[in-house]
Amino acid sequence: MKRKVKFDYARWIFVLPALVIVGALLIYPIFSSLYYSMTTKHLIRASYDFIGVDNYKAVLSDSNFYKAFFTSILWTVGSLFGQLFIGFTAALAINRVNMGKGVYRTLMIIPWAFPSIVIALSWKWILNGVSGFVPNLLVQLGICSELPQFLSDSGLVFLTLIFINVWFGAPMIMVNVLSALQTIPQEQYEAAQIDGASKVQQFWYITVPHIKIVVGLLVVLRTIWVFNNFDIIYLLTGGGPANATTTMPIYAYNMGWNTKLLGRSSAVTMLLLAFLLMICVVYFTIIGKWEKEDK
Amino acid sequence: MRRKLAILLAGTMIATTILAGCGSKDKGSASQEASNGTTEEESGKLEGDITFWHSFTQGPRLEVIQETADQFMKDNLDVKITIETFSWGDFYTKWTTGLASGNVPDMSTALPGHVVEMMDSEALVPVDDLIDDIGRDKFSEAALSEGEKDGACYSLPLYSHAQVMWYRKDLLEAAGLSVPTTWAEFAEAAKALTKDGVYGCSFPCGSNDLMGTRFLNFYVRRGGGSLLTDDLKADLTSDLAIEGINYWLDIYENCSPKDSVNYAVLDQANLFYQGKTAFDFNSGFQIGGVETNSPDLVDQIDCAPLPKINADDPDHGAETSNIPMVVWNNSEHQDICKAFIKKLYEKDTYIKFLDATPVGMLPSITGISDTPEYQKNETVQKFSNAVEVITDAMNKGTAIGYEHGPSVQAGFLTSQGIIESMFQDIITNGTDVEEAAKAAEDKLNELFLTVQ
Repeated sequence: MKRKVKFDYARWIFVLPALVIVGALLIYPIFSSLYYSMTTKHLIRASYDFIGVDNYKAVLSDSNFYKAFFTSILWTVGSLFGQLFIGFTAALAINRVNMGKGVYRTLMIIPWAFPSIVIALSWKWILNGVSGFVPNLLVQLGICSELPQFLSDSGLVFLTLIFINVWFGAPMIMVNVLSALQTIPQEQYEAAQIDGASKVQQFWYITVPHIKIVVGLLVVLRTIWVFNNFDIIYLLTGGGPANATTTMPIYAYNMGWNTKLLGRSSAVTMLLLAFLLMICVVYFTIIGKWEKEDK
Repeated sequence: MRRKLAILLAGTMIATTILAGCGSKDKGSASQEASNGTTEEESGKLEGDITFWHSFTQGPRLEVIQETADQFMKDNLDVKITIETFSWGDFYTKWTTGLASGNVPDMSTALPGHVVEMMDSEALVPVDDLIDDIGRDKFSEAALSEGEKDGACYSLPLYSHAQVMWYRKDLLEAAGLSVPTTWAEFAEAAKALTKDGVYGCSFPCGSNDLMGTRFLNFYVRRGGGSLLTDDLKADLTSDLAIEGINYWLDIYENCSPKDSVNYAVLDQANLFYQGKTAFDFNSGFQIGGVETNSPDLVDQIDCAPLPKINADDPDHGAETSNIPMVVWNNSEHQDICKAFIKKLYEKDTYIKFLDATPVGMLPSITGISDTPEYQKNETVQKFSNAVEVITDAMNKGTAIGYEHGPSVQAGFLTSQGIIESMFQDIITNGTDVEEAAKAAEDKLNELFLTVQ
């Protein structure tokens, strides 16, 4: 005999506010973007028509889209690698410090605490190709014969942006990795030492397994944030010179705000969403595997 | 009988006065307005809250606008004016996003390019009644036509200025050079003055701003051409345009900081303010910038008309900016907006407003510039030559692309960064000039199709 399950209204009532908020803030924008991506929606015109996948065809046949896409990949990989390396190294170093750890941690987190606009304008000022501190210092020290153009030389500008993003993002990695490092029981290191494990072995067999899930989650989050980063690049170079620093968010912005073709801009953002979802699936599959291994 | 009537009349007057004295504050202010030339009937209509967005972000201009609004609210106690200030860039973002949701102000400032888009999206109401009220003949016809559609005016200029050539007198004098009148002389002088940490002239082409388009337009317009054809197509491949592109590339190569490939308007102006460039192109706003940044240099700057291609070419106008006021269709209190705008044009208020940025903002209406009150400003006196040069340029020029009348295409020329990207492409990637010009022209024309 089948047992009748009583429907529990109470729990649905409790989660309803959260569902409504998530629906309004997350699901609605996604579906409205999906819908607009199939229309001729214009930023300031009231009427628009349904055009199916024409916007996707137009975007996918634009060579600038692919250029922006690959610039975004390079931007994300370069920034993430730099942030992880610096953040991880700084965390390991501070973890060894016994006195004034809090002070070091606070000092290193400072870049993360600044708003993007302040960071962008400060760097713009420091790297200004006429009166900037760094270019003039390099000339005075005899390192460069003429003022280096960090933000306008096509050979330097991308590396400069990555450097700034690493400077900005590494402290966040550092703080999180440091927190994870501090949860590792010291007894494990002591036991390993007694067993004759080298420093590298201790790092590889004790430290890494303990922090890899935290690092994995950080990589997922930072990938999304860095890939979608708009403000720092836009404020520093506007995507120039000659689209050398135009990433996908800037490409989408120009499409929506300059040309006002919101429909086409929505198509770009939907493609962006699909790509990031794919990346997340890969990342979470790997993290899930690690978690299973741990258990 | 006559005595009885007189007593009755006097009694009525006394009673009216007493009742008026006991009446509400509104009526009191209404009487005050009546004495200021506004009828009670009119003041009775002014009741409600309005929002005014403007882009006068600098201190003195901001203060004058706020003081005028405060006075207006004092005179009309049932009116509340909320002022919100945005930079031009933010303003554009605010109104374009706000339009769909109805979140736009009751009245605002705008740029000529914005007005065309606002008219195109039916966001504004005609202001012909207000223009007639102030005096249509006081405004320049060309300035009014920038906000005209189907015979109705949707904007009226609050102040005007024009782009002219600014130079450093001391540097020219030290090099034994005279003020250039042709582009060839200009290039020669700029190259000669590029030394000792000073650049002859910076050529800005950051894609976030319109500066590259502006500079190319100077060359093309002074040669009698246009960046748009008569049927409103982009024209970057004409002989004149190609010549202009090559001209500015030569200036960039020989007289400009290399960073200027990413410069926006303020980056460019700052170089001149700080005495790092010998020449620049700007309106009278240049004076305030130099005064603030390098007060020692104020006596060393002056302006002249934009160079021509040949000295004996006709004096073609280039770029004039008439900064308009508009009333939004969404407003429930258009009468208040119009009354407040009218107040801004009252002689004393208007001169006080212009005095906030002397020579930078020149009057858009007649009957102001020759008044002693306007003339007594020290900067106006000191830079009387600049006032003359800019006024002359102002009367001859139009907004970029408006030589064919207001159009969305003209707005696209300056708002897309396409011409700037073209310059960047040539400078950075070494793309062939004609090839890059053709690509930019095609891109603009493709965009123009989206608004047809």
